Amino acid sequence: MKYNKYLNSEGKLYRKENTVYFMDTKGKKTPIPVEKIYALYCYKEVSFTSSVVILLAKYNIPIHYFGRYGNYVGTFYPKGENYSGKVIVQQSENYLNSDKRHYIAKEFVKGSILNISKNLSRYKLDYDKEKYITALQKVNRITDIMNVEALMRNDYYNNFDNIFKNFKYEKRSRRPPENEINALISFGNSLLYSTVISEIFNTHLNPSVSYLHEPYERRYSLALDIADVFKPIFVDRLIFNLVNKKIINENHFEKDLNSCLLNDEGRAIFLSKYNERLQKTIKHRKLNRNVSYQRLLRLECYKLEKHIMGIEQYEPFVIWW
Amino acid sequence: MYAIIVYDVSVERVNKVKKFLRTYMTWVQNSVFEGELTKSEFETVKIGLKNIIDEDYDSVIIFSSNTSKYINRKILGVDKNELTDIL
Repeated sequence: MKYNKYLNSEGKLYRKENTVYFMDTKGKKTPIPVEKIYALYCYKEVSFTSSVVILLAKYNIPIHYFGRYGNYVGTFYPKGENYSGKVIVQQSENYLNSDKRHYIAKEFVKGSILNISKNLSRYKLDYDKEKYITALQKVNRITDIMNVEALMRNDYYNNFDNIFKNFKYEKRSRRPPENEINALISFGNSLLYSTVISEIFNTHLNPSVSYLHEPYERRYSLALDIADVFKPIFVDRLIFNLVNKKIINENHFEKDLNSCLLNDEGRAIFLSKYNERLQKTIKHRKLNRNVSYQRLLRLECYKLEKHIMGIEQYEPFVIWW
Repeated sequence: MYAIIVYDVSVERVNKVKKFLRTYMTWVQNSVFEGELTKSEFETVKIGLKNIIDEDYDSVIIFSSNTSKYINRKILGVDKNELTDIL
């Protein structure tokens, strides 16, 4: 079992004794066993030497970088070995053929709708999932599919004020988030996005060919597609938990004139709880064995790959507990 | 599985053992490492250690348990190395 490591303080990564060392600004050295690293997440200024990069590349460990506002900046990813021309060709074919593309895009949205309604039903809140699913079946343009998604997500977020006891949600605001809940949502979403990227790199899929989101240049839009399905499970449920159990309170935020961000302490709490959640296991119904939440992301990528190769139809992951 | 490895080896090999174990487990005290290992990693560690040590002279003890849940860990005095995923 390998684990994600989160670097929440300034410092330097270097190689010593054939493993990775982290030295913070105070000079405290922490060795990190290289065999046990799954991915590195850097939230502060972290510099690294070329020798450590070579070592990380050998073990296929990505380093994800985040900006000052917790926004995803980029990933150093070692030379992948999972390239498969066959999959890339099929993946593009599924994108270019509009019927096939719409099918996959609709499944992604359907997955988010079902997961969202499950989230709300926990708090006994009404959510008309049938309305959105029928609306989804009628449309046949990508912009319309995205419209349905935007509407249903809006409807979902409007329910947030009924769920949170200590903070006000008001409305979704980004870049920068205006209040505490928005800060948590934005932070969690960018974290999930990078977790999905590390999983996609372990499969044959090309992360830049996407179906629901338009594939632009220089960004891994397939990760956005898959992350959308899992946002309600990985991020939103975690936030409900953290806020309603008062694990995170006002002291964990840095407030500016019109922005609100997690501070170092708050970030550390969020990351450790998120990490716990990734390692939590459930019994998978189809595989009939215990899998971790993180593994679910990988299985989703495999399902998509199977669909693209014409082995099995893709159906989005829907939470059953 | 969760393993605790303690070793008492000759001075010329002590750094080799430390360097090898550093890549798999966390150092907690002088000559003590601990950490979560998969079955295959556990075998690799055992084989790796066997290659380094002189089996007529050195001694390595491996405590292992299927899960860390059944191990109570209590520290008196200084915690020399915290086990954490967030640095």
